[in-house]
Order: sequence, then C-alpha cells, then structure tokens
Amino acid sequence: MTLANYRPTDPTRIEATLRHFVAEGFTRCEPGLLQPAGVFLDRLGEDFRGRLYLTSDGGDGELCLRPEYTIPVCLNYLASPDAGQPAALAYGGAIFRAGEGETLQAGLESFGRDDREAADAEILGVALDAAKEAGAATLKLRLGDAGLVKTFLDRLDLPPAWRRRFEIGHARGESPSKALKPPQRKENGVGAGVLAALEKVDAAGAKKLIEDLLSIAGISTVGGRSSGEIAERFLEQASLEDGAGVSAEKRALLEAFFEIEGSPDSASAKLRRLADSARLDLGFALDSFDTRSSFIAARGLALDSMTFSASFARRLDYYSGFVFEAWAANRPDQAPAIAGGRYDRLLRTLGAKSDIPAVGAAIWVDRLSGDTV
Amino acid sequence: MTALDAATKTRADSRNADRLIVAVPSKGRLQENAFAFFARAGLELQQGRGARDYRGVIAGLDNVEAAFLSASEITGRLARGEVHFGVTGEDLVREEISDVRQRVELLAPLGFGSANVVVAVPQAWIDVRDMADLADVAGGFRARHGRGLRVATKYVNTTRRFFAAHAISDYRIVESSGATEGAPAAGSADLIVDITTTGATLSANALKILDDGVILRSQANLVASLAAPWGEQAREAARIILSRIAAEEEARTTRELRTRLGEVTDKLLRKAEAKFGATLRERNGNGSVTFAAPANKVASLADWLIAHGAQTVTSGKLDYVFRADNELWGRLAARLDGD
Repeated sequence: MTLANYRPTDPTRIEATLRHFVAEGFTRCEPGLLQPAGVFLDRLGEDFRGRLYLTSDGGDGELCLRPEYTIPVCLNYLASPDAGQPAALAYGGAIFRAGEGETLQAGLESFGRDDREAADAEILGVALDAAKEAGAATLKLRLGDAGLVKTFLDRLDLPPAWRRRFEIGHARGESPSKALKPPQRKENGVGAGVLAALEKVDAAGAKKLIEDLLSIAGISTVGGRSSGEIAERFLEQASLEDGAGVSAEKRALLEAFFEIEGSPDSASAKLRRLADSARLDLGFALDSFDTRSSFIAARGLALDSMTFSASFARRLDYYSGFVFEAWAANRPDQAPAIAGGRYDRLLRTLGAKSDIPAVGAAIWVDRLSGDTV
Repeated sequence: MTALDAATKTRADSRNADRLIVAVPSKGRLQENAFAFFARAGLELQQGRGARDYRGVIAGLDNVEAAFLSASEITGRLARGEVHFGVTGEDLVREEISDVRQRVELLAPLGFGSANVVVAVPQAWIDVRDMADLADVAGGFRARHGRGLRVATKYVNTTRRFFAAHAISDYRIVESSGATEGAPAAGSADLIVDITTTGATLSANALKILDDGVILRSQANLVASLAAPWGEQAREAARIILSRIAAEEEARTTRELRTRLGEVTDKLLRKAEAKFGATLRERNGNGSVTFAAPANKVASLADWLIAHGAQTVTSGKLDYVFRADNELWGRLAARLDGD
C-alpha cells in the first residue's frame, strides 16, 4: 500500500452527509483523534488489537488513533450534563484501522429514547437519506433483530450451558445443529469418578464436594473464578456430555427460526406462525417488530425491498435489538457502506448507572458509490 | 538502535555493502549453543577484541560479518533486512514478525533452546481441560464478572492468533514481560500464555497446560532474511555456510551401514528405502553394500539386514556429508529468486 492510499480523497460526500444530519436535528459531537486503546479492546475483543494504530505517551495504558466513533461518542455523552437524557448526536471524520489506513466515516447515535421503534426507524431513515444526499448508488438493505433472537431463545428455555454454547456458535456463524452438537466425552481421569460422586448429591452439596476436593488436593483457587463457579460448570459440562442434549423438537425449532427470511412483513407473518405452532410467546417482541416496520414505512422507505433475516443478528453480546446493513447494490462483494443497530446495554458497561436506550448507524462514505475499493 | 550499532552499520555499509551478516545471540546458553552449532559445521565464530565487542567474523570466510545481539533484537533485524542470517527462537519469529512467510525463511531447527509456548490455566479449573472449555468459559465470563477473561503474556500476537483460531474473542491481554506465571496468583490475570521447557514452573504456580494448549513447539532456528540486500558476494558466502551446515547436519542425523549380503536385489533395496529410509551409497560385485540411514533406524535396519542373510552389520558416524546439490541453499535461493 502506498502512502497515498492511506488518505481519503474526496471530502464532499462526508460534508453532504453531515449537513443532512444537522438539518435533521442531530448535534455534532467530535471526540478526539487520540483515544485510550483499552476501552475498544474491552468492548470489541482483543482480536481488534490487530486493527488498531497503537501508541503510547509514556504514561499508563496504551493509546490508539480513533478506530471507530460509537464508543468515543458514548463516552462523551456520558461525561456530558445530558447523560441519561435523550440526545441525538452526529459525527463525521477520519477513523484509522490497520490495513485500511485512514478512512472517512460519518454517523449517528441516538441515546435515551424510550420509543425504541420510532428511534430505530429514524436512525435507519436519516442514515439512508444522508447517503442519498451524498450521492449513494442504489443500496440493498438487510435487517435483523437481536432482541427477537434473544426473546426466542429465552422462550425456548434451553439449559444455560446449551444456551451459551448456542450463542457462541451462532456468533461464529455456525448452524444450530452444529452449535448444539454434544461435546465429545473427554477421557481424562478427573471426570468419571468425580461425576459418579456428584450425581448422588444436590447442587449445594456438589459445590461443597468440589471445594473439599480442591482443598484436599492442595489446589488454591487462583485466577478470578470461585470454586462455586467451577463446580457449577463442571456439573453442567458433565451433564452436557452425558445427557441427551437439546430435544429434537427444539433443535428443529431453532433450525426453522433461523431460516426465516423475507420482507419484514412476510418474515413477521412467518415468525408468528412458527411461534403459534410451537406455543412460544413471542407476542411482545413481534409487536415491537411490526411497530418498527410501520415507522420505517411511514418514513417513505420501501419496506418490501428490504430483506429481514433471522440469522443476521449474530453479535448478541453487543447488539440488543434492531440491526441493519446496507451496501451498494452493484457491489454485493463489498463490505457494507452503512451498518448500525441498537445497543441498549453498551452504555452501562461504559459507566452509566443503568441501561440507556441507544441506537446508531455508521456510514463509510467512500463505499457509498460502489465504485471504490 | 544504539549509537554503537548505528556506527557499526554505517561502517559496514560504507566499507562493503555486499557482505553477509550473521546475527548470533550475544549471551548465555543460547550463545554457547550457537557457537557450538557453527563450530560443528566447521565454522568458527570469532568475536572481536573482548566479550564486549558486538562484531566478529567467521574464521576463513571472507565477506562474512558476525553481529552479536540479543535474540529478540535478532528477530527484528531479520524482519527489517538488516542482517542476512540469524539464530533466534521460532517463538520470537512467530510473535514479532507479522508476515513470516514474506519476510524470512526458517532454514533449519537447531536442536537447542527448545521450549513450548502454551496456554496454562489454574489447576483449580477442573472443568477446563481444553481450548473448547476455555472458549465456553470466556463466553460466559463477562455476564458473571462484568469483565472479560484476562490473559497475561508477552506473546501478544501469538495469543491473539491462537485464540482467534479457537473462536475466543471476549478476553483481554495483560502484557507481561517477566514472571508471567505468577500473574494468576497475584490476581492480575486469570490465565497465561507463556513459554515453558519442563512445565515445572507452571506446576509450582498451580497452573496446568490445556490438553490442546500447546501453541508452538519452539526451538532455536537458523533464519534467513528475505528483505536483506542479497548481493553476489553475500549469496556466495551464504551458499558456503549452508553447504557446511547441511553437510554436518546430514552427517549427524545419518549413519553409514556396511554389510555383505548373498544377493542384493532391486526389490530388497526398494524395501530398505520404504521401511527404513535407507539409501544405497555403494555396492560391490562381491555382495558388500553401504547404506545411508537415519540414525534412529540403524538398529532396526541392522536386524532386518541380518534377517535377510547378513552376518555382520557395522554402523559408523560421519564427519560431514557434502553434496553438490544442497537442500538448504536450494531452498533459500529459490525464495530469493522469487519462488
């Protein structure tokens, strides 16, 4: 990569995008270029380290060039007097990621609104309108709903260990049947004998037994996990290896659920049919889904040209509701030009006293036309 | 780069750009072993005036300069093309060079400096036996503790790659440059990725290696930089050094077996090759044959020959096996010429 490729070329698109945001009532918020690296690694995973331009000023902790806007904007908002209050913020400028160099990104974050469905539709609508103002090509849209997925999994009532396995597999893009395959029994001594002893006692007794076992063996508990926690998971894993796993009926439901795809309205109808036939109460989540669809349609957006896909919401740890991506229709191979979603739990992990509703979208302005790299 | 290094480099550049620079560890057992390795191949490293001199030569070889550096410094210089050859640990190469295949060629493992880079968790984690268990624990850890798992290590990149390959993403690296194994007990990390030779230090710190937690079995390697300026003289010096190393290595790892057989058929020779990796070196009309065979196959090959009619089989060590075609140099030359 030559040095010239590290710099974006044309500022007109981002200027047009920002003009539209401000006209829609969003206030500019521009966090600094230099950011503490730890917060990104914490929230986005250590793997993200490879994407950061890291540096240090000799003080505590590492610094990095701003790799994205959402977290810095959240931190600015939480440090402001408006923290906890509704706020509509817009940003636009350079972000820096190893391998991509300096690219331009503009975006929106909406905080503190309890009318979530309307806020979701507004963020999607304003982002799409701004993209159009900035000369975007025809964009294709894909929608998902992490909240709906969560509700579905709650109602399915999988044992916690299976739920966790499933969510990890799902985040990796594995099919339900793969994610739910029972782990192979490990031939490793400690298992069988201890398990036989544990099967005879209740949960509290099992915990005590494991604590005793560890202390007899002279193993001190180190490394942030309590013996209760270890005992609990030990039992859980033993039951995973032993048990019949998730019933065929639930596995079939999972398969059917994640195969659902179509326009938001047709997908909603399919989801209701699935919920009815399986007697799962998805009513509240689906009502919210339909309300959001109505708000999206009310903004004049062509709902029928969007594709909802139940399996699209993968990052259930980060996103909590509506998620969407848009990319230039002529470049299906390209990374999305717009991506966003609802992340109601993030602000609390960044220091807010309670969850604050939050939804946002980021636009990679250089990808809008579909003719760039 | 220190002033001294800079001066050395400038002097080397101006005096003779086209010479081969061989970087060798500057202290400790690694240095002793590296000297011994080169000495075995008949390459005598001569350090300058005192132990504090960071430059030297290889006796009898023109256009070769030895640079005495710390192992991690050697890795960086190989990556940047500031030295041609270096002796350094594979762990450091994999950790510190992001595009190993593009920048360097690992020419040969040297049989010393062996150690494993491993994932080790507290022994008390009886529910965690392999990486899949760790992935599961990592997945549920934040919900329970409000933070991700913390991993103490100096192998930041190695850890990241290995954890990514096992689909573990929710964790934080706590960088640690010394006494990493103490981090879980000290409460600054939950588990570690570290280098270990026997595992004794890990046990002493109540840690255990996961069943599939060996990330890398490392040892000292002879490494060539692909980014260094490979002029004609540097290439010739490299060819000479590698042919001696290859000659010594082949001699060390093979034995010459002599015997006499009633009948030496092609079928028998093919079988000897297939079963024992033995190749025919020489055969006389009177039935006496000489095989070259891997050192660890000598006894079984001898048994087999006796079963096929040999009365006595003798085995001998060799000093060197020089070859017209040198595998080490061939491989490097191919890489230098663009594969």
